[in-house]
Amino acid sequence: MTRTRPLEKLLSWMSQNSALVALIIAFTIGAVFTENFLTRLNASAILFQYAIIGLLALGQLLVILTGGIDLAQGAVVALTSIVTASLMRLYGVPGAVLGGLAAGTLLGIASGVLVSRTKIPPFVVTLGMTGIARGLALLISDSKPISIEVQSFVDFGRANIAGIPVSAILWVACSIVVSLFLSRRRMGRHIYAVGGGEESSRLSGIDVKTIKLVVYGLSGLLTAAAGVIWTARLSSGSPIGGTGYEMESIAAVIVGGGSLFGGIGSVSGTFIGVLLFGVINSILNLVGISPYWQGTIKGVLILMAVALSQIRRTSRAAAQSV
Amino acid sequence: MQSLTRMVSERSFETRGVLKILAILVGLLVLASVVSQGVFLQPRNLVNLIYQNALLIVIAMGQLLVIVTGGIDLSVGAVLAVSSVLVVLYQDFGLAAAFGFALVVSVVFGLVNGFLVTYIRLPAFVVTLATMQIGYSVSKILSGGGAVYTGFQGAAIPTSLTEFYKAAFLGIPYPLLICLALMVILSLYLRTSIGHFIYSVGGNERASFLSGIPVRVVKMAVYVISAVLCCIGGVLFVARVGMGDPQAGTWVPLDSIAAVSIGGASLSSGGVGTVVGTLIGVFILSALNNVMNLLGVPPTFQPAIKGIVILLAVYLNSARKQN
Repeated sequence: MTRTRPLEKLLSWMSQNSALVALIIAFTIGAVFTENFLTRLNASAILFQYAIIGLLALGQLLVILTGGIDLAQGAVVALTSIVTASLMRLYGVPGAVLGGLAAGTLLGIASGVLVSRTKIPPFVVTLGMTGIARGLALLISDSKPISIEVQSFVDFGRANIAGIPVSAILWVACSIVVSLFLSRRRMGRHIYAVGGGEESSRLSGIDVKTIKLVVYGLSGLLTAAAGVIWTARLSSGSPIGGTGYEMESIAAVIVGGGSLFGGIGSVSGTFIGVLLFGVINSILNLVGISPYWQGTIKGVLILMAVALSQIRRTSRAAAQSV
Repeated sequence: MQSLTRMVSERSFETRGVLKILAILVGLLVLASVVSQGVFLQPRNLVNLIYQNALLIVIAMGQLLVIVTGGIDLSVGAVLAVSSVLVVLYQDFGLAAAFGFALVVSVVFGLVNGFLVTYIRLPAFVVTLATMQIGYSVSKILSGGGAVYTGFQGAAIPTSLTEFYKAAFLGIPYPLLICLALMVILSLYLRTSIGHFIYSVGGNERASFLSGIPVRVVKMAVYVISAVLCCIGGVLFVARVGMGDPQAGTWVPLDSIAAVSIGGASLSSGGVGTVVGTLIGVFILSALNNVMNLLGVPPTFQPAIKGIVILLAVYLNSARKQN
């Protein structure tokens, strides 16, 4: 009996950290089967590409922890990029970046107001916001991309410090801040409480409305930050870009152990979830699979992750009721 | 007994709802005629309106059924795109075989959506968001990324298909006939006991289950019906524009959800919604677009208008339900 215990321990650890296990497996597959996977350049490329999704996923995590969802992220990225690009000519880099961040945050706050003050379900609110953000982006830009000629801003998008992309450093920094916020601040704990049980949170004196407002506002801010980096990389604002980004951020949160029903999820898990998608994407590119396939592969992975988390949840509920 | 009285009171409540949105439509029509100095109500503009909306009407009907059961279908545009591509690519085997193939693939999408929502109990918006991605990806794989005009072996789209869209029977254009037939069938269907099951599942799933309604079958069925209607939409799309487009229908989810929610269906809880209301919802949406165009609001702003309209309609519906 005692001999099997380490194995049991290992198995239970693996099932609790399935995202990490998946990441290690994917990483090993990449290292063994593709030539250029284990290069510094590729690691840097993964971080470079997925820092944007990483920032979105942090915002999405906060919203999902309260039991909500933010479907507007992709459209808000586009709106941020258009606002930033069009302000660039008038107010220079600081004004443009601030303007872009403000636009994204305002849209997030608008979602937060609607989710917290009305009975409209979060996915409907943010679906409506998708239309509004897209429409505004198309209106401001007249449906055309806006190019940016400010070299310092374009360079910022591609900048490295010691070989690590600046955007990735920003992503890690934001992850640490959000993680500390969730674990050390009272409001952070309240976010979990609201997702765990809204009514009981309200009865124990938590200001549920403010919490909801804050998470959507923060999701807007983080989305806008991702949008600014995205804009710098494209060296233009695009009114039609960013479609499907919300899907990837939702997937990263769920793969990282988050529950769409709220109350469960972590920054570290989400971080691993984002890296997992980055590694998978990198392998697909290196093996030379058509980019058209990626939607299918991502879609299937997402469905599997959500289904697994749901099956785990029901089996846990069954175990508790017995 | 209690549920029966509730049902009856909800019925009359729905009639009032339909009357209210009908009033909004009439108001918009009057506004449109005034703004356009009479152009709007001219037969040509109205026929245009139907042509533009035949596709949306077909898809909104499926969306209605899904929303009545308390779900949502975001994959409608993607299934439309897949079927448009398939119908063109499999022309080599004849029109009927191409239809059949597109239909089978659409049904598979519907079954996957339905299965994951019903049996694994996943939130409908996540499931259909993922299948939307898969659908667009599959249609790009099939078409090689761009629009397709001929089959794999180079068979052209038969002119009978494209002419059919413009042709009329007894002066009524075929697309309109299809819409009318569909709405009549659906209205009758919703009056049968199975139709009532759809409402009762959306109204209270647990109670429906306990009273012996096959909840799972009902929920699976609405997603499959929605996918089948998207397939018909895909065929109509090919007939209208003469090509299969892997990026077709990107705005269809937003449009159809807007139409259904303007039409009085409840996105927040399910159990409410009518065929006539949805039809009027489609017309209100397009009358709104038309008025906007006539007023000189750029068409690029239309997604935002739709977003605002959805939020407003859902807000008003949820506020009404509380009273």
